[in-house]
Amino acid sequence: MGWRRLALALALLVWAQFPAGGQTSPSQQTNAERDKTTPLAPRMVTDEVGRHVEIPQPVRRIVSLAPNVTEMIYALGAESRLVGDSDACDYPPDAQKKTKVGGPFTPNLEQIVALKPDLVLIAANSGNRRETADALDLLHIPTYATNAFTIEDILKSIVDLGDVIGATEQARTVTASMRAKMDQLRTKLADTKPAHVLFVIWQEPLISIGRNTFLADALRLAGAESIIDTRQDWPHVNMEEVVHLQPEYLVFAPDHSSEMATHLAALRSTPGWRDLKAVQENRVAVVSDAINRPAPRLIDAVVELARQLHPEAFANAPCGGGASHANGKAR
Amino acid sequence: MRTLTLNRLLWICGALLAVLFVVVVLALKVGAVPISMTDLAWNLVRVIVGRDTQLSSEYGLIIFGLRLPRIVLGIFVGAALSVSGAGFQALLRNPLADPYVLGVSSGGSFGAILALIFLPYMPLVTPLAAFVAATATVAMVFFLGRRQGQLDNTTLLLAGVITNSFFSAVIIFLMTTLKGGEDRGMLYWLMGDLSTPLAASVRWMFGLGLIIGIGAIYTTAADLNLITMGEREAMHLGVDVTRVKLVVYVSASLLTGLAVSVSGAIGFVGLLVPHAMRLLFGSDYRVLIPTSAIGGAIAVVVADTLARKVVAPTELPVGAVLAIFGAPFFLYLLRRRLA
Repeated sequence: MGWRRLALALALLVWAQFPAGGQTSPSQQTNAERDKTTPLAPRMVTDEVGRHVEIPQPVRRIVSLAPNVTEMIYALGAESRLVGDSDACDYPPDAQKKTKVGGPFTPNLEQIVALKPDLVLIAANSGNRRETADALDLLHIPTYATNAFTIEDILKSIVDLGDVIGATEQARTVTASMRAKMDQLRTKLADTKPAHVLFVIWQEPLISIGRNTFLADALRLAGAESIIDTRQDWPHVNMEEVVHLQPEYLVFAPDHSSEMATHLAALRSTPGWRDLKAVQENRVAVVSDAINRPAPRLIDAVVELARQLHPEAFANAPCGGGASHANGKAR
Repeated sequence: MRTLTLNRLLWICGALLAVLFVVVVLALKVGAVPISMTDLAWNLVRVIVGRDTQLSSEYGLIIFGLRLPRIVLGIFVGAALSVSGAGFQALLRNPLADPYVLGVSSGGSFGAILALIFLPYMPLVTPLAAFVAATATVAMVFFLGRRQGQLDNTTLLLAGVITNSFFSAVIIFLMTTLKGGEDRGMLYWLMGDLSTPLAASVRWMFGLGLIIGIGAIYTTAADLNLITMGEREAMHLGVDVTRVKLVVYVSASLLTGLAVSVSGAIGFVGLLVPHAMRLLFGSDYRVLIPTSAIGGAIAVVVADTLARKVVAPTELPVGAVLAIFGAPFFLYLLRRRLA
């Protein structure tokens, strides 16, 4: 019977992807090995939250549950192996066309299983739950968690991820280009004083960033310093405190930048906000929401922010276009 | 009260078990990934025949790795919460009593969240902490609810309500002052969640605890019937009221602690199901306890199936589904009874 043979073939296919020593018994393993042309032993790696993961080699079918990880996969040129991603994975636009497995926070395990991934990627600190990884462990689906708290962490995540999925070279290229941009920016900002800013994650209630987040690190790179200094990652901030500290700049990273103008106009008449000199004097930096994602694009958003906070440092360049900066400023 | 015969009890339970069976089969079939009845039947047969080495096909993994464990968890949690609800209602002679109202659920959640903060990501620690905290909360409420050495129903209920508010507030406090992004995981813990499968070892412990808890409450069923008429009267009829109360209280807490430790705080079942069963089959505790167990299982499995299916591939919190569909159903039963 056809369907029976098909199911058997599927079963064998999945076995072939399974790490050895799991549920596979020796006899079945030899079957699987006979089916495959180049059987490689799975690799043991430790992911960024300290879990031990057995990565099958090579990695052929990837499911990403976090938007920043999806962006990394595309940057590493491995998008053809990405068979599914989360509802929140919207960049690059092609990522929206991948099979969706639900929200990053409540992904549908059935949908993930149905995609027969040999590796699921999550971001422990941005939107995914540890419980999801545990549940996938019980199903013997290898799950690798990234977890970045600084820009260096992000670079390391990209290198490690490249290593795990077999895109080491691409990872090196991506991080080298990011580092080049970072060095350039640091040179430009060498003589500037850090601007005191309030990074507005959410306005109502006001949520800003803590000192241990990658965003605080991104601000440091952009020649800025958050006025909020707390060990909580996403603190609810009292407006009184903000009025008292009087940030030099407000930083917004809206999803829809088109609505920002009306939004800023509204701030001028909102109690609390209208008492901020930054609002009165229109010292508001609006950057792409790419800054909210620990992924390669973050660096571009940081440059964009630095340009708004320290226009004087960029004044020497011949014109305002980004391209002119790529090889400008010979030392 | 109708006289109870063994025959009637078996008929009622048999009918409910049949409903539960149908519900389980439907719950196995329905989900984000469509599975045809043939595939389902074939996979079931294969397991029954014992050839479960072929489970690695993705249907097998979805049915037996994801749906069945989740359904079993739903059955356990539903039975535990309903029976403990029925127990608390008899104990306090108050139709509003349920694990939620008595603060046991939020006490358990509090324990789980403490564990998530201080011992994050250690397997088994979170459910264990939830269980210990739920039982400790019960002991505390029990202690606070005494008046002149006697367990006073009103005081106990009040103590429970206050404890509940207190722990809810502490949980909010912990979540606001918390360090990282983990707080959203905790929020889910508060809403009740069946999506994380149980490890096999926990499943056995849970099953054993469930049987012991329900069994212990069932041994007091005849006495509970008398106690609901009045404690003094029961005492005159030879019921050891203090002992019965203690057994029911400890067992109901054990059951609630177990449920909270694996699924977070799922509300409404403990209140709704025993009342529905009372309206359907009468208030004889010898019938009420087994029917509540099965009815609770049915209610939670149905609600969880809807939670999985309605907005698939995203999921709803099972507690919300229970309230949305349970409340109108409950009101319908109530009106029909009055008519």
